[in-house]
Amino acid sequence: MEAVNPYYPIPTKIKQIIPETPTIKTFVLDGMPIQFEAGQFAELTVPGVGEAPFTPSSSPYADTMEFTIMRVGRVTQSLFELKEGDFVGVRGPFGKAYPLKNFKGKEVFIVGGGVGFAPIRSLFLALVHNIKDYKKIYLRYGARTPDDIVYKHLLPQWEKIKGVDIVLTVDVGDESWHGNVGVVTVILDDIPVNVKTSPTVVCGPPLMMKFTTQRLVEAGFTASNIYLSMEQNMSCGIGKCNHCRVGKYYVCKDGPVLTWENIKDIEEPFA
Amino acid sequence: MKLYLLPSNNILNFLARIAEDGSVYYPVSENGKTHITRFDKDKKREPDFEKIRTAENIKHFFFPSREVVAAFPDDTSKQAPKQYLVGVKNCDLRGVDVYDRVFLQWEPVDPIYQLRRENTLIISADCPQPEDCCFCNLVGLTPYGEGVSDINITPVSTGLLFEVFTERGAAVLNMTKDLFTEASTAHEKERDATRKKAVKKLNTINERNFRDDIDGRIATASNETKRDARNDCVECHSCLHICPTCYCFLLSDYKRGKDVERVRTWDACYYAAYARVGGGANPRSTLNDRFWNRFECKFNYFNQYEGFYACSGCGRCFRGCSAKIDIREILWKL
Repeated sequence: MEAVNPYYPIPTKIKQIIPETPTIKTFVLDGMPIQFEAGQFAELTVPGVGEAPFTPSSSPYADTMEFTIMRVGRVTQSLFELKEGDFVGVRGPFGKAYPLKNFKGKEVFIVGGGVGFAPIRSLFLALVHNIKDYKKIYLRYGARTPDDIVYKHLLPQWEKIKGVDIVLTVDVGDESWHGNVGVVTVILDDIPVNVKTSPTVVCGPPLMMKFTTQRLVEAGFTASNIYLSMEQNMSCGIGKCNHCRVGKYYVCKDGPVLTWENIKDIEEPFA
Repeated sequence: MKLYLLPSNNILNFLARIAEDGSVYYPVSENGKTHITRFDKDKKREPDFEKIRTAENIKHFFFPSREVVAAFPDDTSKQAPKQYLVGVKNCDLRGVDVYDRVFLQWEPVDPIYQLRRENTLIISADCPQPEDCCFCNLVGLTPYGEGVSDINITPVSTGLLFEVFTERGAAVLNMTKDLFTEASTAHEKERDATRKKAVKKLNTINERNFRDDIDGRIATASNETKRDARNDCVECHSCLHICPTCYCFLLSDYKRGKDVERVRTWDACYYAAYARVGGGANPRSTLNDRFWNRFECKFNYFNQYEGFYACSGCGRCFRGCSAKIDIREILWKL
């Protein structure tokens, strides 16, 4: 049988574009071009420009697929110039999903930073979908300013969900902000979970990942229970082109979520 | 295994015969250098199976430096004409072995590579005269084909001795059987003696083996060791592009009228932007890290994945290096 071409993207229409912050937008696609599980990622193609890896921000149980994307480079700049009704290409899903079966019956402690909230939203919605399976879900999130908080419009309804505990912080507040101020680790002094048994999930920019992981290790989480979303240059997505390798792991194939146990011996894994 | 003799006066006839079935590429020497040459029935240039591997590696034939891997909306990217690679040395077969693992055995299968591989018949050749750059014996190889190829040939005094490894190799022999005679025990003895001599020469060129725990020593090398190793490197990247086992590539999209072509080009982990992400972070921003990554990739990680080094011992990296950095010297020092 002829093998499917793994480099060919599925053309998909952009249904809606939601501005989240001055530099972040959520792209809602028309339907589900690919089926995925929380934690897996896809390559998005801007026709004629190129492709880049993103983890969906929507629930795997939803009818549409969403990507929340920050404008940082060439492909994302072109993506931001697209309009509703334009087409993108989707390849995937790639990598491994969060091992949700290992989270069952436990407190799940999630820490996000900046646009790292995107994959975390997908995980959060997947957990909420079967919320009775988990003891409690803790969500800790930090953004640079109140304006940079992603999903502001969704947070009030998430806070109302029974079994969910959300704490936010911003690096720099403003007149409207009455919450915590400081980088995300300032809201990690109090970790109200059983650190010996609970899984913890981290996703954010490299420096945030580095210091949050340090804090979680100090707090007593087991290395194999610290799940880290790794940001690497995943070009092919199928473990062949070699760009995303960290130590012996291909982030596109063995990740994108690796545990601290996997990478703790690697020098500067969050560089 | 049964051996067949292709008498010297039939060698060009054999090449001409298989050239009727597909393009034939073989080693031809000129001005002291051996290059891969396309067989031309009008010119009929004499092959040179005695010299070491050709200056070029054979990865172009399976994994061209630039090729379209997908086109959209209509994907018509897959094309691979039938080709024969004749006279390939065992060091270059290590490269094919690496590619077969990465592109065929590691899921998902790469259909573009698969098609090229299926349409390429490889006839390897013994390497009777290793040179000072050769170190296949240090990476677990012999100077003669033992598999991976479809057929292996050994130059003997009266012609070429053929040993068939695969069914499609047998089909080639069947197609050209009128050109062959049965080999004798004397031919086999001549082959064994030639091989023994080549192995002895390799052992003289490379008196010391790499340490058994070379992978661990690479993993724990100090920054000082890494700095000393890359000190003369001018980042020309020749060593990586000329390497028969390097398989890094980059995907880029290009507009062609209303269509888009997705193009795969060779990449190399010494390029500063190789691992850089869209946001600007770069896990291997220093030359120290990039230079050492090559050693980690070939001698540590690939060995963990597949149980052998992603190095062929062909010595092209040393010969092609602007600073003449000898990979053996770095590994021996560890």
